[in-house]
Amino acid sequence: MKLSTKILSLALALVMIVCAISLTSCNGEDHPAADNEKIKIGLTGPLTGGASIYGIAVKNAAQLAVDEINAAGGLDGIQFELVMYDDKHDATTVETLYAKLYEEGMQASLGTVTTKPGLEFKTFAKEDNVFFLTPSATGDAIPEFANGYQMCFADSNQGTAAAKFFNENYAGKKIGVFYKSDDEYSVGIYNNFKANLDKSFGDISATTASFTGEASTFDSQIQLLKDCEVVFMPIYYTPASQFMTQAMNVDNSIAIYYGCDGFDGIDAIEGFDINTVKQEVSYLSHFNSTATEGPAAEFIAKYNDKYDEEREPLNQFGAAAYDCVYAIYEAMKTAKANGKEIDANISADELCEILKEVFNSDSFTFRGITGKTEGNEKSTISWSADGTVQKEAIKYIVKEASN
Amino acid sequence: MDFLITFLNGLSLGGIYAMIALGYTMVYGIAKMLNFAHGDIIMVGGYTILVFLWINPIVAIIASVIFCMLMGIVIEKVAYKPLRGASPLAVLITAIGVSYLLQSIAQMAFGSAPKFVVIADLGTLKIGEIAIGYSTIITLACSAVIMVGLNLFVKFSKTGRAMIAVSEDKGAAQLMGINVNNIIMITFAIGSALAALASLFFLLKAPTMTPTFGALPGIKAFTAAVIGGIGSIPGAMVGGLLLGVIECFAQAVPAIAPYTDAIEFSILIIILLVKPTGLLGKKRREKV
Repeated sequence: MKLSTKILSLALALVMIVCAISLTSCNGEDHPAADNEKIKIGLTGPLTGGASIYGIAVKNAAQLAVDEINAAGGLDGIQFELVMYDDKHDATTVETLYAKLYEEGMQASLGTVTTKPGLEFKTFAKEDNVFFLTPSATGDAIPEFANGYQMCFADSNQGTAAAKFFNENYAGKKIGVFYKSDDEYSVGIYNNFKANLDKSFGDISATTASFTGEASTFDSQIQLLKDCEVVFMPIYYTPASQFMTQAMNVDNSIAIYYGCDGFDGIDAIEGFDINTVKQEVSYLSHFNSTATEGPAAEFIAKYNDKYDEEREPLNQFGAAAYDCVYAIYEAMKTAKANGKEIDANISADELCEILKEVFNSDSFTFRGITGKTEGNEKSTISWSADGTVQKEAIKYIVKEASN
Repeated sequence: MDFLITFLNGLSLGGIYAMIALGYTMVYGIAKMLNFAHGDIIMVGGYTILVFLWINPIVAIIASVIFCMLMGIVIEKVAYKPLRGASPLAVLITAIGVSYLLQSIAQMAFGSAPKFVVIADLGTLKIGEIAIGYSTIITLACSAVIMVGLNLFVKFSKTGRAMIAVSEDKGAAQLMGINVNNIIMITFAIGSALAALASLFFLLKAPTMTPTFGALPGIKAFTAAVIGGIGSIPGAMVGGLLLGVIECFAQAVPAIAPYTDAIEFSILIIILLVKPTGLLGKKRREKV
């Protein structure tokens, strides 16, 4: 071994020992956040893999909000820090990632980006009593425990709202459903949709098609749904756009494709011209990612200014994450105004109790960019005691029917 | 009528699976390894078509086939050749590593958002009540031609017979003057070219490409190869067609559609229980 290599390895060994010592001293404290200089907000989400467009948008938008808050002076001088790890939309990764976040001093959280990992996350967060407000994990069971909150509509609310819309607007039409049978989000909405649909539509199970995984050819499903007039699609936009494209090659009587918030961004897929679809395409949502005026448009401009629009496109997930960060910040401000002490090394447990009290109080309403905004006024958002969000949904028509 | 349409759709999907399964089965037969990066070559082919599409669809297709062949050869030379003779587990893990590498490179180069790759709008053929997409017909015809062609190539060409020889006994083949390294390289090249064609037919049916696109068809085709008997070329074809038809029929029935994947993989288990070598797999007698 050369002398220089020896010195180098000696130096590295020393560094490791020092690290180990400092770590043990850290663990000796009451809570992992004791040494924090900034308030740490942690979350996990898919940054690689099939669902990474959602995770990346969340990461970018949440970072944008944190940067804005910090630039404006933070919480009376206390700065914020965002830490996000890649869960690959895989529930089995969550345990390790959560432990890592918690040990690094996470004090409040945005939970997870998607539902499946979120169901794991909530149980760990409950044990440590960590407050989380998820931007986009829509599962009904996500806010089950007292410390969990949602910025997005819960699946049952979306399914119920869609069924209500169908009952009021599409009575007498032949309707079909196209859903993803291995996805909590899709199945949750579908079940609530079916349960709340008017009896006059008859039995829709014969015109209910489904798929699993990252399926890309939908020949059989299109055969099943080709005689329907309205097709309800509680799925994300990628498979929806594939269905629409493939259905163009089959004679069909479909007039309307109706989706949920997963449709947001369907008109921004590179190479896919939504106008080649003859049918009306619309969805129920809480954010319009093509807004040209109002607070939503302002946010979109800021996002596109900072990030590459094409490679890391914004979607409603990102918008919700932006609102989440601000909601937590506003809640902290409210708590401080009510005389609560918050400093950079507050424990997750203490902060959770403070935030819960604010979020559950009737007087707390948050003004955000998701939900129905009027002119330049921001939307009003509040939370029920069960952690579900209260705000007005928007019916958003992506494109009208054409010939 | 719906029955016939679903059957044809199933056959054409099965044809694509068979094409990919051929890549698995040939590589297994000759190099005795499971090339789990094979599915991702489909994705590489899809993005290559996307890159060259602005010139002309035909140019893009040819470019995609050539690029995938080169890719297959490079992967074999860089990742697998140094491991020849290593334990099968090491090769398997390497193949999985290559698969992740390709996916990550694609994500860095093209982003994770889906890209639409519209090669051509082919339209629909109508005969009376039956309406079927030209893409389905072309896929069916091309996969039939490819399968027959590949069978003839392996049986009658000098290289093809050398491939059979290597798959039967590598050592003996080498002693008879066959360059084993070249044969393995050619096998990878042919398998990758078939994967590139598979991506073409996928894109004709469903024009979207994502970095993880190849994963599921890869697994399905691997299942098809095992059902048919891994290492057997006719077996890969039968397995692929069977799987495609089963998939389309399962999805056409609302009540069982959610269990499509479960049904496909259950069939694999049943076949392996009844006939462990697969439908057309050869029994090998162990000499003691």
